Parts: sequence; C-alpha cells; structure tokens
Amino acid sequence: MTSANLHPSRRVILGGSAAAALGGVFAGFGVGRATADEIPEALAVENPHTQFAAFHGKYQAGILTEPQAHAVFLGSNVHFDGLKKSERIEKIRSILQMLSSDIERLVSGRGVLADTEPEMSHAAAQLTVTVGLGPVILDLLGQSAAEVGALPPFTGEKLDPRYGQSDLIIQCCAQDPTVLHHAVRALRKNLRGITEELFTQTGFTHAAQTVREGQGFRNLFGQLDGTNNPTGQARELAVFGDDQDPSWSPAGTVLVLRRIEMNLDKWDEVDRTGRDFALGRRQSDGSPLSGDSLSDPVDLQAVNAMGLPAIAAHAHVARAKPSSGAEVLWRRGYNYHAENGSGLIFASYQRDPRTSFIPVQQRLAQLDALNEWTTHVGSAIYAILPGVREGEYLGEFLFTAST
Amino acid sequence: MKNFKFATTLTICAAVLLSGCAQNTDAVTPAGASEQVQSTQAENLRTNETWAKAAEKGMSAAFGTLHNAGESKLELERVTDLSANTVIEIHDTEGQGTKAAMKQHEGALLINPGEDVVLAPGGTHFMFMDLKSPLVASQTSTLQLEFSDGSKTQVQFPIRNFSGANESYHGSADEHEDHGSH
Ligand code: HEM
Ligand SMILES: [Cu+2]
Repeated sequence: MTSANLHPSRRVILGGSAAAALGGVFAGFGVGRATADEIPEALAVENPHTQFAAFHGKYQAGILTEPQAHAVFLGSNVHFDGLKKSERIEKIRSILQMLSSDIERLVSGRGVLADTEPEMSHAAAQLTVTVGLGPVILDLLGQSAAEVGALPPFTGEKLDPRYGQSDLIIQCCAQDPTVLHHAVRALRKNLRGITEELFTQTGFTHAAQTVREGQGFRNLFGQLDGTNNPTGQARELAVFGDDQDPSWSPAGTVLVLRRIEMNLDKWDEVDRTGRDFALGRRQSDGSPLSGDSLSDPVDLQAVNAMGLPAIAAHAHVARAKPSSGAEVLWRRGYNYHAENGSGLIFASYQRDPRTSFIPVQQRLAQLDALNEWTTHVGSAIYAILPGVREGEYLGEFLFTAST
Repeated sequence: MKNFKFATTLTICAAVLLSGCAQNTDAVTPAGASEQVQSTQAENLRTNETWAKAAEKGMSAAFGTLHNAGESKLELERVTDLSANTVIEIHDTEGQGTKAAMKQHEGALLINPGEDVVLAPGGTHFMFMDLKSPLVASQTSTLQLEFSDGSKTQVQFPIRNFSGANESYHGSADEHEDHGSH
C-alpha cells in the first residue's frame, strides 16, 4: 500500500482556479481528484501517461485526445419495452445523468458510487470515457440531424448485426488495461437492467511511450497507420467544424465506428513490394512511394524511374486521400484481436460524414488495392455529445428543448 | 477519506458545490443554512456519497456518510421516502459474513458534533422495508431525514446496481423470508 498511485489524496492537479482549489480541499466530498501522494508532483504532471484526463470542457475528452494505448467500445440498447414516449425520454435522461456522475468519478481516479473495487481506478492512466447517441435516440429526443443519418450500404461489406447500430456508445480509453477494464465493468454494472449490451469491442495499439506521440501506430498488417491524420487546429476543424458550420450540435461531433476484419494469413503471402504497392507507402518506415521519408507528401503525380506513377492509382492512400477540406476525417482507430478474427476498429470523428466518411468510403469500396485483404463486418454511427461544464450532465441541453 | 478538518471553508465549499453535479451526492447545505444564531439539526447535516441499492421488490437499503457540521448533537429520528412512500427503518448489522444479521436501530441515530456516521453495507443503513415501487439504477430516491428538534431535510440517493449487502433480517421472521437480499 505504499505504492504512490494507490493513494487518493486531496491534492489537486487540475487547473489553478480558486473553485478547483476549494474543491480539492473538499475532496472527501467528491470534487477533487485522486492523485499520487508520494509521487513528486512534478513527475506526475510531466508524464503525460500518468495523468488524469479532465471531464469538464468544451468538448468531451477522448476525441481530439491522442489515442491512449487501450480502448473498449461499449454499444448498448436501452430497454424501452412498454414505456410511453415521455418515459423513454426520462429514461435516457437518467442514464445520461448516471453516466456523467460515473465518468466524472472514474476519470478523476475515484470509483463510481457503490464501487466494490474503487482502488482499481486510483492509478492515473489518462482514462477518458466518451458518450454518444444512436440516430434512434436523437429522433426520440426530437433532435434528428442529417449528419447522423444511417450510413448507406457499401460494396463488399459483410455486416454482422452483432457489431451493428446501438442506441448508446461509450468509448473508454486508457493507457492502462487494468484501469480501463475496471472502468468498463463499473459502467456496465450500473447499466445492467436498464440497457442491453449489443457489443463490447476491445482494441489496442502500443503501450504508452513505446511510440512517439502523434506518429500513429502499427496496424496488424504491420503498416504505420495514422500518418496523414489531421493535427492541431485542422483536426479540431475536421471534427467539430466551426461556429458557422458546426456538427449536429455545437461542440458535438459524429463518430463512425466500423469493424474491419483483416485477413492476416492471406496478407502473410504478400511480399514487401506487393504490400507497399497496395498501400502506396512503405511498411518499413511509412514513407510514401512518392518520397523517401515519413513526412514526405503523398504525391499522386510523382513518377518512378520507369515513368510509371510512384503511387498506383488504386493504392489505399491514393483512393483515401481527401479531395477537399470537407473530406478530411480524424481516424482514431485501434487494432483488435478476437476469437473470430483480427483487424481494425476503425473509429473516425468528423463534422459531417456526408461530406467526408461517406464519399471516401464509397471510393474505397469501389476500388482500393487493400480490399483484397479487408472486409467491413461492423458499422454504426453516433452523435457524440458536446462537453459539459461543472454542474451539468452530458446531453442536458437536449432535454430542456424537448420537455 | 473523509475530511472535515476544514470546517471554516465548509460554507464556501458548499456554495461552490451547490452549483451542483450531474447527480450531486456531495455535501449540500440545506437552504437557509448560514452562520446565523442557532441552526437546526437539519441545517447542520452534511451528506456525502449517498446511494441506494437497486431492487425490483422486497427490501433494499440506502447508504452514505452523514456528517454533523454543527456544535451540538444530531438525533435522526425518522426517515421517510418521498419518492415512493416505502416504509424506511434505520438498521444496524451485527456479526460478520454469512452470520451477519441486521436489526432495527434503538432510538434515534446519534451523530456527535464534528463526527460522521457512515451508512454502509454490512453496517448501519436505511432500510426500505417493502418497496412500493422498484428502485431502478440511474434514477434517484429522495429521502426525508427528520430530527429530534422537528427539523427535516431532503437527501438524494442515486440508485445503483449492487450485489452485496445481503445480510438477513432478524425482525419479524414471517415478513422477510423471501426478501433475501437488500
Ligand atoms: C483495415 C482497413 C484499413 C487499413 C489497414 C488502413 C490503413 C491505412 C494506412 C496504413 C494508411 C497510411 C498512413 C496514414 O496516412 O494514416 C492509411 C491512410 C488513410 N486511410 Fe486507411 N486503412 C483502412 C481503412 C480505411 C477506411 C475505412 C478509411 C475511410 C473511409 C480510411 C481512410 C484513410 C485516409 C483518409 C488515409 C490518409 C490518406 C492520405 O491523405 O494520405 N482508411 N490507411
Ligand atoms: Cu436492513
């Protein structure tokens, strides 16, 4: 019990506001965050992987956040049987209130109320929990939004309803799998009896600090994935839009969740040249075939020594490359390995899938050299809720409008 | 865990907290409480981490920390269920493990100045005797706490799923056989 991370204390690591400081003094009453008593404060702050993520903010955490090492996507349906419309709405509201309370506690290192193992959340592992609603729930709340309409069918997909659309999505990410799985279990325990789980999709990238932040990850084909993802303000714009052109709600966004099976055994048969050709980038260092370092642009005009296009027209990056700013999406995916296969949990955040994910995926479905080894088996879309201020619960604004 | 040493900042903190949480189980000062001449017992109560165990029917229980922020003792005499009107008793648990049994608390529940009474599974708790309507996780049960000076205050108990707290009840035997868990 001397291990520093096991001790919640009243010391406050978050911002310097007076309210926060007072809250910290009062942490016995649940406002401060657990932190490491024995760890020198400087260390706790400097190591980005041993921090608590903030719950309150303009946006929900876990969206723009550089992907943590581990993720669980929890999709569940709400039990509505026999309920009147007003009761259904009330049910969604109480679920969002409970989730907000549970999440606020978990990400600050306290267990949820009635937690039987609160110690498991004491370690600061940059846990984020991000909540979204399926289109049916938006409709119920009178908030239907064209941005969150059902995705059209795409050529070649073999969708399994097990990984299909659910009423709720809870994306849980953390640097530490034990902390993550405790959080998932705590959230699920509280949802038991009021929702039914459709899927739990577990994903991983690399242990924190084994890859440089912002450099993507190795997917299960061995490729460096995420190189040409938008960064900084471009990412924020692609995900949330701006004041003139927000997503379905200001500070809200849309999550497209696709489960893509990758045939690793067949991929084994492909040699390096074939692999690099299919992607348009080198497996070795991620550099594009139109250049020789990772940061070189994907140049579709570039030709090789034989005068042929350096990147084939049907290479994945050639087909996926956004043709305009509106097509840019932020891919925040994870590898998965399950009993029934391996692949990519493709999770993209974008302001409006109709101008980004859908046209890009239509192009890829039509022609992409990688398609030979990949199959889309799951698909869902969610309205991700805006962030909340202290004292608010997630989605609160949806209820003041509809009741 | 509990930290009541900062009594002087309590009022300010409570004000900060009153802006409220999603499901505020944090300390709340009953309306009107201040440094005035004599506060009622209800005004001196602070509650924290309150929750109630979800249940379909039969018995259930509510837990949390009750703190006396005043200078004289609090005597909690009665708890009433404002949400569903279920009869609530104050119980203590005796013994441990499978032998644990609970019985009604004798007299008022006493909270000395500056001290806590922790209501917890396996200890003292508020008992819902025979639920008039289910306690559903994610919803909130509002209980009214009534003190010996006639003052009362309402406390929110967010409802959560919990599989523990299965002590048997040594009250009137006939009544509780089929209410194995609470
Ligand atoms: C299992 C399926 C997939 C695999 C293995 C895969 C892999 C990769 C890799 C290795 C890169 C190059 C590095 C990078 O820039 O991130 C890449 C780029 C990209 N991928 Fe995928 N991807 C898959 C599916 C998808 C899907 C479904 C979409 C969107 C509908 C997509 C959109 C993109 C985009 C936009 C780029 C960046 C293109 C550029 O501007 O250079 N990918 N992908
Ligand atoms: Cu009892």
